[in-house]
Amino acid sequence: MKVSTKGRYGLRALVDLAFNSTGEHISLNSIAERQEISVNYLEQVFSLLRKAGIVNSVKGAQGGYVLSKEPSDIKVGMILRALEGSLSVIDAKPVAGEMEDGIQKSIRRMLWEKIDDKINDLVDGITLEDLVSEYRKMIGDSAPMYNI
Amino acid sequence: MKISTRGRYAIEAVIDLAIFSGNDHESLHNIAKRRKISENYLEQIFIDLRRNGIVKSIRGAHGGYVLARDAGKITCGDIIRSTEKKFSPVDCIAEGKNRKDCSRFELCPTRMLWEKMRDSINEVADSVTVNELLENLYEKKDDKQIEYYI
Repeated sequence: MKVSTKGRYGLRALVDLAFNSTGEHISLNSIAERQEISVNYLEQVFSLLRKAGIVNSVKGAQGGYVLSKEPSDIKVGMILRALEGSLSVIDAKPVAGEMEDGIQKSIRRMLWEKIDDKINDLVDGITLEDLVSEYRKMIGDSAPMYNI
Repeated sequence: MKISTRGRYAIEAVIDLAIFSGNDHESLHNIAKRRKISENYLEQIFIDLRRNGIVKSIRGAHGGYVLARDAGKITCGDIIRSTEKKFSPVDCIAEGKNRKDCSRFELCPTRMLWEKMRDSINEVADSVTVNELLENLYEKKDDKQIEYYI
């Protein structure tokens, strides 16, 4: 049960953007370098993010991207849905026109739908700011200690 | 994040087996036919299920399989973990030999999210037993129990 690379890299890139942004826009080149992701790939990802209204582009030679809202107003769920489509563990449409039978219906109601609800609650309860805070803590913990 | 057909078919097959094996056992051939799954694919799935103590095989000309323990003691989590090759949203937090090391592991802001996702899925899957799925197949209407599954 895999999250796609778009979801994984896209989220990492957005945390990078939020973390490194001081109000100015950030270039995809800089994100690509820090996160070791190809610029081409980031272009695809950011195109989706822009269409979903999560980032705004700043055109020009020194162009880049900015978040469209405060990180605390951007839910991780919104980001993942923009990049992955549905977050459901099963495909919405049944296989090749076959109707769902009693066993499948039972599993769907008792298991898949419950998992989907839990995942949706989870990702909608975490914001980009939460991830950035987490990252700041990690960086802070790994910073060298200076003895005076 | 999709579950593969392997995991889905495994759960369907275990329920089917629970219904049709009764006190005896049921053949893969019959399960495959009812579930419209290839028998070969089902064989592979049942190898995993047997290895993980979910089903037992009965040898012989009229052999087959039976649940290895009570339906109330088999969770969907047990079944999914037996059959899904990588039961994890990303490789860096997968179990055992499926785990792929990542150079960013210590300073990864998204890792905790994926761990929470994996834990959520496990939690829900472990809260649903085969028995509960069986009970859900029957609907109660006006004090009469109508068999939903045919």
